[in-house]
Formats: sequence, C-alpha cells, structure tokens
Amino acid sequence: MGFKHIYFDEKVCNGCNTCVDVCMCDTFVANSEKGKPPILKYPEECWLCGACVTDCPKKDEGAIRIVTPFQLRGSFLRREGGSRQATACACSM
Amino acid sequence: MAEMKVIEHEADVLVIGGGLAGCMAAIKASEESGLRVLVTDKSNTVRSGCAASGIDHLWAYIPEIHEKMGYTLEDMAEDHRQGMASRFFRKDLFYLVAKSMYDRVMDLEKFGINFRYEDSRAPGKFRVVEQFHSVPASFNFDGVPLKPTLTREAKKRGVTIINRVQMTDLIATNGQISGAVGLNTRTGDLHFFKAKAIVLSTGRSNRLSRNPTGFDFNTRIPSSMSGDGTSMAMRAGLPIINAEFFSGQNTLAPSGNYNPNYGDPRNTVQPAARIIDGAGNVLVPRTQFYDWESLGKEKWSEDVRRKFLEGLRAAHLTDPKKGSPLHIRVKRGEGPFYLDFSEATDYEKEYIEWSIKNEGKGTQFLRYFKDEEGADLRKNPQEYSGYWPREIAGTAAKGVWVSNDLETDVRNLFAAGDEVGGLPWQAGPGAVAQGWYAGQMAARRAKGQRAFLPVDEDAVKARKEMCSAILDREIGFHWKEVELYVQNLMDFYCGSVKSASLLERGIVRLDDAKAAPMKAENPHELGRVLDVKSIIDNAELTLRSSLERKESRVGLLSFVRSDYPDQDDENWLCFLAIKRSQDGRFAFEKMPIEG
Repeated sequence: MGFKHIYFDEKVCNGCNTCVDVCMCDTFVANSEKGKPPILKYPEECWLCGACVTDCPKKDEGAIRIVTPFQLRGSFLRREGGSRQATACACSM
Repeated sequence: MAEMKVIEHEADVLVIGGGLAGCMAAIKASEESGLRVLVTDKSNTVRSGCAASGIDHLWAYIPEIHEKMGYTLEDMAEDHRQGMASRFFRKDLFYLVAKSMYDRVMDLEKFGINFRYEDSRAPGKFRVVEQFHSVPASFNFDGVPLKPTLTREAKKRGVTIINRVQMTDLIATNGQISGAVGLNTRTGDLHFFKAKAIVLSTGRSNRLSRNPTGFDFNTRIPSSMSGDGTSMAMRAGLPIINAEFFSGQNTLAPSGNYNPNYGDPRNTVQPAARIIDGAGNVLVPRTQFYDWESLGKEKWSEDVRRKFLEGLRAAHLTDPKKGSPLHIRVKRGEGPFYLDFSEATDYEKEYIEWSIKNEGKGTQFLRYFKDEEGADLRKNPQEYSGYWPREIAGTAAKGVWVSNDLETDVRNLFAAGDEVGGLPWQAGPGAVAQGWYAGQMAARRAKGQRAFLPVDEDAVKARKEMCSAILDREIGFHWKEVELYVQNLMDFYCGSVKSASLLERGIVRLDDAKAAPMKAENPHELGRVLDVKSIIDNAELTLRSSLERKESRVGLLSFVRSDYPDQDDENWLCFLAIKRSQDGRFAFEKMPIEG
C-alpha cells in the first residue's frame, strides 16, 4: 500500500461524499458502491486544510480522521511530560 | 484523438476564481438586475481559496475606534507603506480597501458571520487586535463558516457557480475582453464562455519552490493556487508587477514540519507568543491586548509607529545592522528558536486557540497538536525557523497591473484580491473590498453593453488540441516530474542570493520545461499538467524580472543580487512591470510609486 493519511470508518461513514465535494485539491473520488466511504486517490495532493473533517456530518462519530504525515510532525520542546500517545491509536487503524 | 466536449456559456459578468474576492464580486454584480453572473472555480467555492477552511483576521480602518485614538486613514496608509509594504505600495489601492472594509464587514455580518462577542470591551463588542498596523485594526471573528456562507449568498442572488473548472485562456476582441476557456478537471469537458465583462480573481502564484518537508503540497498558501490568473494575464499581454520578489518571505514558521498557516509572531499568535532561544533568552518579547479602558485617553503619535516598526523588524528577526533576516541567521548556524506561549494567561491561551482555529489550516493543526502529539500550546514551545526562504505567494505583492478602478489594460477585464499587484499583505481585506468593487464595475460595464462581442474561437481549438495531445500521447512526463524540475531550477538559479549569470542559465534551462511533453491519464491529471504550465509561466516572469532589477534590498520584500549588492532607491524604488508580446518577447517598464 502506498502513502495514505486520511482514514474512514466504514461503520460510521454513510457515503454522503461531502468530503469529495469540498476538497479543494480534489484528492478523493466517490466510491462506485453507493453508501460506502470515498477513496483517497491522490493523498500527496492534500493541502491539509481539514475541510473534509470540518464539513463531515458524522465527524463527531469518527467517520473520517487525518493522521498527520510523519515528516510533518512538529519540532517542539516537551517540558512537562506529554507523549505521542495518540499516534499509536492512529497506527492501529 | 481524445474526444473533448465543448460546453458553451454566455455570461454578462464572468468571475474567474470563486475565493473571497470572486464570491464578493459575484454577490455585488448580481445586484444589478437582469444580469447573468457566472463564477468558475477550479475547486468548489464552498471551500476554495486562501479563506477555504477559515480566516481569522480582516484589517480595516474602523472609524468608531480609530477616530477616538486620533489615528487617521493617512496614518494607517503610512503604517502599511513603511511596514508590510516595504514602500512598494499603491496608495490608491490601499484607500480603496481601507475606506470600504468596515462597510464590507457590516455586509458580512448581515450574511450571518459573527463579529461581536459579549466579553469584548471594545466598541461594538468587536474583537479587534493589532496585526499589520501600529494600532489594533484587525477584526478577529468566526471565520470558518465564511466561504460556505458567501456561496449560499451568491446562489440566493441567482449567481451560477461552475465548480471544478480550471480556466486556461482569456480572449480579447479589439482590446476588449470577450471570452474565456477552461477545463473541467473531473469530466474532461472544455468550457467556452462568452462574456461582456470578466473579474479575474485566482489568487496568488504558488508552488514555485521546493517544499522543504518533502510533502509537496504542504504550502502556506493553498497548493491549489498555481498562478493560473497571472499566467492567463501574461499570455494576454498584460503587465505583471513585483514578480521578482521571490525570496522576500522572511516570515517565521514552524520548523521543518506541518505548516499551520498562522504566520509570524505578529500575526495569529498575538499577543501572548514570544520567541525564545534554546536557553530561554527572549529574542522577541510578547505583546499585550489593547487596554480598551484607555481608548480616547491617549492620542496616537509618531512614537507609536516607531515602536511598531521596531517590533515588526524584531518579529522577523531581521538584524538591523547586518540586514540579515532570519533565514540567513539560521544558515549561519544560529538557533534553534522557539515560539513560546508559557507566559500566556488562561484567557489569552483560549483566545489564541480560538483565533488559530478560525485560520484556514488552524483547526486541523490544533487537532494534530493536541490529539496526535498530546501537546499543549502553553507547555510545549514550537520550534520556529526561517522555514520558507523562497516563496512568492506569501507577500501577495505580485500581480497584474490595474487602474485605480481595478481594470486591467484589456477593457472590461477587472482583477481583484491577490490577483492584483501593488498592495503587499492586502490579504483578506484586499479580496473582500476589491472583489466587491470589481463586481460593481464589471456589472456596470456589462449593463452598458447590449450584445456580446464576436469571439475568436481559435483559442478553444488550440486548447482542445493541446489537452487532447496530453491525454493521447503514449509516453510523456508525469506532471510531478516537470513541477519538481522547475522548483529545483528556481531554488538553484533564483535562490536567496541571485546573480545575472545564474538567472540567465535558469532562463535557458526553463526552455526545456516548456518543451517537455507531459502525459495525463485522466482529467484530474490533465488539470495538474495545466497547473505546471502556469507554474512555468510564473517561473519565467520571476526569473526575467529578477534579472532586470539591478539592486539589492532587505526587509519584508527582500531581493539580493551578488552582482548589485547595494540598495538603489533612485533607480529602483519603483514597480517593475514585465509584459510579454504576441511573438513571445518580454519587455519591461518601470512604474513609478505615487507618493
């Protein structure tokens, strides 16, 4: 599998294709099977604006999520603990 | 040959690019009754352009605040001229924006955008902060719903929006605009428009330089913007100014990673962020919220401006003695530097997070910072560096030359927002106010013209043949290969320090990119090939203009030539306009900066 950073939860996503409509870089294509999540066809053309998540009607239920590409991970000081706990969850998807 | 359908349209007013400027132009133009107003967008106007997923600041002259300070419109113009514009400043365009922007904010409020907050002590219950000027003059507001709202308002007024159409050609008849051509990057259909007036508003020229993260579309300004408008304007023979200010972006940004698009320490992260070094020494102190209780008690003075300009230089870590901006300091081995919020109060932290959330990529960045990194703005200083030494999009200085009524040298062709050259960092207000004005002007012209002009359809045929060839050829370069070639070329021959010998070599090597046969498997890839064609045109304008400007200068619009190391205000404090003639030759003209 090639690079991918946007994931759908098939159980939650209703295939409404809002993300396909709003994506400024046209990274998604609609699934040929109605009601199924779209396909992220051009992940490397994403601007990471997050509109696909912001406008998702089922975002609160976790229909769509972005796992930030690793080379874009921030450089910052960890003064008081803090850890990359969530990364592990993301990778287990 | 690939069969490409041609879909024909007639528009009284055609708006090319449905970002902030384009949506405002269409809404205003639709007020003239009986006009057919069309908007094309290479994305979807709901989430397209610089304000796509949000916007956090709009600067304006705010009479109810600024008059009480004794701060005039002229004072604000002078702040902008000396500060953000580095004296490359069109006063007429500034006044057009600054004078009307407050009224436009009132319009946006009528459309349903929230600008007022119960906890605010400022007049009008606005949230107004310091950003580009020496006094608080930028509205903070709930900007995430802005583009969906403007799209809804345009549709409500009968505007037709055609999404996923990437425009490629402008057609003029006897010096007057008459039509345009574009490609639907989903269906592969060509769209041919006859129009009485056109507003060109495709935004900034982007993707001219290699992204240092290796994630090519992790640009500060939306990667969908590939300078299509500039390319079309250039091919229509229109003059473009400021194309040489390619290395002018000294803005600090998070180091080698996610670009959250919240700018430097004088931008979205004000007032609580400061810059520290690894040992905790403060390099750039934090600012403070304006004390609204003191409004009207103290009068604005030149001293306020002096302090503001000092702060601006400090915020970009420009060394006033050596004239070296941050990215050169980093190259010298200085750093790391950090953006630090540890002194922020709970209220300030909450406020800044709210502000970041409203800025484009900010919502997504904060989610990443908290959820994926388990980090906290207050506890975890983010590394900052001269991340973006070469970017032409950042300053928004470049663009097509327009009259003070925003009309280009082609009659009835107007431009608005970042498409327009001459007002650096006009940003959101430039788009909103100029879009409105250009829409009004275009509608008036369209109203006064009874019939469509005859349109030469050769451009449609030529575009069809060009697109078909890209789809049909067996072997050809992928768009990405050619884009990277051009970006590498720009980084090498048109870098932070330029010289005639390097620039000349760059121009020669760009010819290979122009001639490179590209191959597309589908309409989406064909759109990207067209992106790259625009990027090549923009690269050529930048290389040639850089060769023509024979001086050096530092500041927000920096330009360094090793063969002309001195600043030469006498000969070069002027806009340099580059213009391509029909035979492909380039000519230059110096446009004076009106005091």
